[in-house]
Amino acid sequence: MRFRFFLGEALDSLTRNWVMSVAAIVTVLVSMFVLGIGAFVFFNLQNATSGVRNKLEIEVFIKNTASQDQVNQLGDQIKGMPEVKSMDFVSKDEALQRLRDSMKGHEDVLAALSGNPLPASFEIFLKDTNQTNLVASRFYNNQTVDNSPVADSADNPITLAGDLSDGATNMTVTAGGGAQFAKDMYFHIDNEVMRVTDNPNGDTMNIARAQAGTKAEAHSKGAEIYGEDGVKTGGNTTARVNAVANYTLIGGSGFVILLAVASVLLISNTIRLSIFARRREVEIMRLVGATNWFIRWPFVMEGVFTGLLGATAAVILVIIVQNSIIDVISSQLSFLGAEAVPTGWLLLSIIGGGILLGSVGSALALRRFLKI
Amino acid sequence: MIRFENVTKIYDPNIVGLQDVNVHIGRGDFAFLVGHSGSGKSTFIRLLLKEFEPSRGSITVAGRNLQRMRRGALPHHRRNIGCVFQDFKLLPNRTVAENVAYALRVTGQPARAIRRKVPEILQLVGLGEKMSNLPDELSAGEQQRVSVARAFVNHPSLLVADEPTGNLDPDTSVGIMQLLYRINRTGTTVLMATHDREMVDKMRKRVIALEGGKVIRDEDKGLYR
Repeated sequence: MRFRFFLGEALDSLTRNWVMSVAAIVTVLVSMFVLGIGAFVFFNLQNATSGVRNKLEIEVFIKNTASQDQVNQLGDQIKGMPEVKSMDFVSKDEALQRLRDSMKGHEDVLAALSGNPLPASFEIFLKDTNQTNLVASRFYNNQTVDNSPVADSADNPITLAGDLSDGATNMTVTAGGGAQFAKDMYFHIDNEVMRVTDNPNGDTMNIARAQAGTKAEAHSKGAEIYGEDGVKTGGNTTARVNAVANYTLIGGSGFVILLAVASVLLISNTIRLSIFARRREVEIMRLVGATNWFIRWPFVMEGVFTGLLGATAAVILVIIVQNSIIDVISSQLSFLGAEAVPTGWLLLSIIGGGILLGSVGSALALRRFLKI
Repeated sequence: MIRFENVTKIYDPNIVGLQDVNVHIGRGDFAFLVGHSGSGKSTFIRLLLKEFEPSRGSITVAGRNLQRMRRGALPHHRRNIGCVFQDFKLLPNRTVAENVAYALRVTGQPARAIRRKVPEILQLVGLGEKMSNLPDELSAGEQQRVSVARAFVNHPSLLVADEPTGNLDPDTSVGIMQLLYRINRTGTTVLMATHDREMVDKMRKRVIALEGGKVIRDEDKGLYR
């Protein structure tokens, strides 16, 4: 009975003070709409960049002269790497088939090819794209030497337990600063190429002098199996996409949080105004002996309705805008693979947020009139 | 019923509302609180309703010490005091019946009891025909009757009226006065703040006179003077 009374009161005052109600609903609508569009853009950017991220991979091309044993061995090695999520072997035939697929309509170009010039390859997908360089370094020695997170860096000082000059091939190395070592990783010390022979335990590991004595030799040694340009990573693309993704994440969440704060302030201010207009009513209720919750419930329910109506209208608008934007994007920028990303739960949380804002805003705005 | 002991109320900054007031009003009594504007009548009544605390002294209403009352008990305290104000304090958007019903609803009375009691009390104050009117559509005298009906519908042990006839013409005032008198006859303690000289002199009830926040006179069957 009480619930019905409160509900009646809420609906009554919603229609009775309809000017204020409309003002509050429109405020919720506008803020939730802006917030919704902001979140929508943010999530789609996020999705697009992570889509590109997922496509990043390391391709290890295999020289035609490599033996089946060598290829198998390499495959096992890759599978054993802890950073690797999955790995595909693309045979020469498959590579050619892919090329054909991607060049449909231009078969005449392919017809000019004699035989199959494409190499077989391993395609490697990583668990964390930030580790691309580390993993690639194991194949592409030149990169190890140049980009290794380990070599000579001031942040990652390397301590050797022993002396290289006495001809030892195995010794224990300690790296500071959280340098990442992994089995079979190459790095160099004073132009000597070293290979990690034992899986690191913390930052201590065993290393062996690679058989080749110099960087150039090491490179060419790797090249026997992998080919001259044997390893292809996203390279610069990786770094750029990672940077863009990180900026989007930081900038976007900052923007969305800012919008959310602005919405909260705007909405609570509007509700405070509408309650201020009715403070005499609240005062009378208190004098008659109404408990705070008896006064509060109708206001809270009214806030729920305000939030629900405003947020629902906002959601409808967001859907309309979303669909028209998606149409444009998918026709013009199809490579981004634009899909309306989190539609369901984003829209639901807009509605939920509106309801929460309305009810909590009402309760808070009432607070100062409920003292005394 | 009401006991003020050495009650002093000082408003910021240093404005005296009440000073060393000692008053005792017994159960079932009828008392006038008289004095000029600013003499402390309203302070007295607002202290009774515990709208704020006295600076010093203690106030007891219906055997309960207001200073020791928990915040949660405040609504119950107010339900035991019927209030009538100069400006009626009716909820403007609700019908006469709903205004009276609100006082019953806050006490959690069932709908059936509300449907029975509201017409009963409105009949009593002579507004049986105007139940579904809004306060705006009523004359001042009628609005004050609604206010009295709302104050009395819970049958409180104490009814407090702050200048209830202040906005009314003399004839209408008499009508309200008669209502309060009848309510007093049912055993309800009535405390009425007023500066309506004629009314006080006619009634010959207890008169507590305030000036500058002090009780300057307190006599049974008194006159306004």
